[in-house]
Amino acid sequence: MQATPRRPIAPRVLRGALLFCFSALFVLYVAGPVAWLVSSSLQSEAQITAVPPNWLPPLASLANFEAIFTAADRQVTYENRRQGDAATGGFLPSGAANLLPSLWNSLTVGIWVAVLNLLLSVTAAYAIAVIDFRGRRATLYTVLATRVVPDIALVVPLFLVIRNLGLINSLGALVVTYLAITVPFTIFILISYFEGIPRDLYRAARIDGCGHWGALRHVYLPLSLPALVAALTFAFLTSWNEFVFALVLTQNVQAQTLPIVISGFIMDFTTSFSFVNAAGVIAIIPPVLMAVVFQRYIVSGLTAGAVKG
Amino acid sequence: MLAALNRRFGYDERSAALLVFPVVAVLLVVAAFPILYSFWVSLHDIVLTRPLRRPFVGFDNYLRVFDDERFWVAVARTTVYTVVTVAVTTLLAVLVALLLNENFPGNRLLQALLLVPWATPSVVNGLMWKWIYDPTYGLLNAVLLKLGLIERYRVWLGDPDLTLLLIANAAIWKQMPLAALLIIVTMKAIPDDLYRAAKVDGAGVVQRFVHVTSPALRPGLMLVLVYETMISIRHFDLFLIMTQGGPGDASFTLSWLIYVETFRSLRFGTGAAMSYILATTTFVLSWAVIRFLGKRL
Repeated sequence: MQATPRRPIAPRVLRGALLFCFSALFVLYVAGPVAWLVSSSLQSEAQITAVPPNWLPPLASLANFEAIFTAADRQVTYENRRQGDAATGGFLPSGAANLLPSLWNSLTVGIWVAVLNLLLSVTAAYAIAVIDFRGRRATLYTVLATRVVPDIALVVPLFLVIRNLGLINSLGALVVTYLAITVPFTIFILISYFEGIPRDLYRAARIDGCGHWGALRHVYLPLSLPALVAALTFAFLTSWNEFVFALVLTQNVQAQTLPIVISGFIMDFTTSFSFVNAAGVIAIIPPVLMAVVFQRYIVSGLTAGAVKG
Repeated sequence: MLAALNRRFGYDERSAALLVFPVVAVLLVVAAFPILYSFWVSLHDIVLTRPLRRPFVGFDNYLRVFDDERFWVAVARTTVYTVVTVAVTTLLAVLVALLLNENFPGNRLLQALLLVPWATPSVVNGLMWKWIYDPTYGLLNAVLLKLGLIERYRVWLGDPDLTLLLIANAAIWKQMPLAALLIIVTMKAIPDDLYRAAKVDGAGVVQRFVHVTSPALRPGLMLVLVYETMISIRHFDLFLIMTQGGPGDASFTLSWLIYVETFRSLRFGTGAAMSYILATTTFVLSWAVIRFLGKRL
């Protein structure tokens, strides 16, 4: 390792200034819209409808979030129905009580999809990457080809299949459907990762008397932790974000996920933007936290296949 | 019998079959069957308002689609939207990758920030930008007015010339991060020796980018182009949330047309035919990008 010679001062200052400017632009572009969403979720209806807008909440308040978390306790009766008047800001959409249950639905489906996706994909990816069997390429291409068809085209036939199975409006139907979306991509990631593991390790394991199951457990799984974490995160996020299938396959709060309930608010012109924005912030928090915590794994796991091309 | 099977298929093949079986079973039910079924639907005249009569019509649905003026409008809209989204996403991703590939304090923080749009659900993404574009209370009007770029507030999403671009902007915001990550990884794989050799030969920053970085980026760029095209061409969520095809038919893309045809007009046959046309186009496009651009780039 040789030390790079120190460069003259002027180019270094210039480089620093350029990097700073571009970093600032980058932060503004990436974080600006989200910051504005968060800022307006902390304002009351009167405050977000100010012209020109308040960049920062004049009086940050968690009232919108409180409204979401207490919506279920509120009872609308003939006497108190006028309290929530849109003009005074206390207005809650009729579906507000659905937010919390849908949050749980999203979490449940996401966790199931993440776990099942990994179990299914790991075994298949191992077989395709490591074992030389007849129909190996055909299997791989068939799995990948299922993702070429646009989701919107699959919705109708899938709806009919799920209805015939008697699973409409159930979380199970969503889990199975999302597996169809996540499994092909996960298999693709894992295969590139598994193929990067030295073949000698596999041979050594086989010579030591391991079967395929043993080789997978003792060699491949411990060595591909980043890809496994990336796959878990990816599957959870895909499930958390999915919209089209949930829109068609669910009918009420028993199975509706967060994006469906939120989109219902967006279409409802009477809903206050401050309230919808608060719901949006709630929907952003889990995936963003997860992405940032597992950043290192996601980057190395999701991009494993890119270098080889 | 079992012994004969064992002889015909060795240990490897039996294990492989066992390991692959669960995935194949799941994909058969939730992917392969619906795909084939939807092809069957596309060959029949199925209208849900007339549930009992569903005659076989061969490829009539496809011909009907090609005769439909709305279809060609949707093709034009989808093309503009996809080209803009993919081109700008890729360009921005390369710029961001160049920035994050540098070593400077705060680099890791920026990379963490990069994952925020990627993790944002598309419904929230649509909501967020719809609120930014809001004609009376939105951020866009306020900022542009303050900068003196516009003289009075405008109804952004109501402008047919701008709608597609504004929706594309929301899509780009969400898609750019993954593309940038893929390009960063490709950049990191370029051996430092190449840069040193180029420096010794007296190449400046620009020349190093043109002659060293860009040829080495080819595999990463290919992946980004194919992936982004496949994703953008079928975007649906943003259209439902932001404009529902409007104003007029300004944002009437193929995905939206399929949705309207199937779930509003309840013409499942033609809807399925359109889906097949879209799927085939996506497939051919990806293949063509890999085939032709892959050699030239």
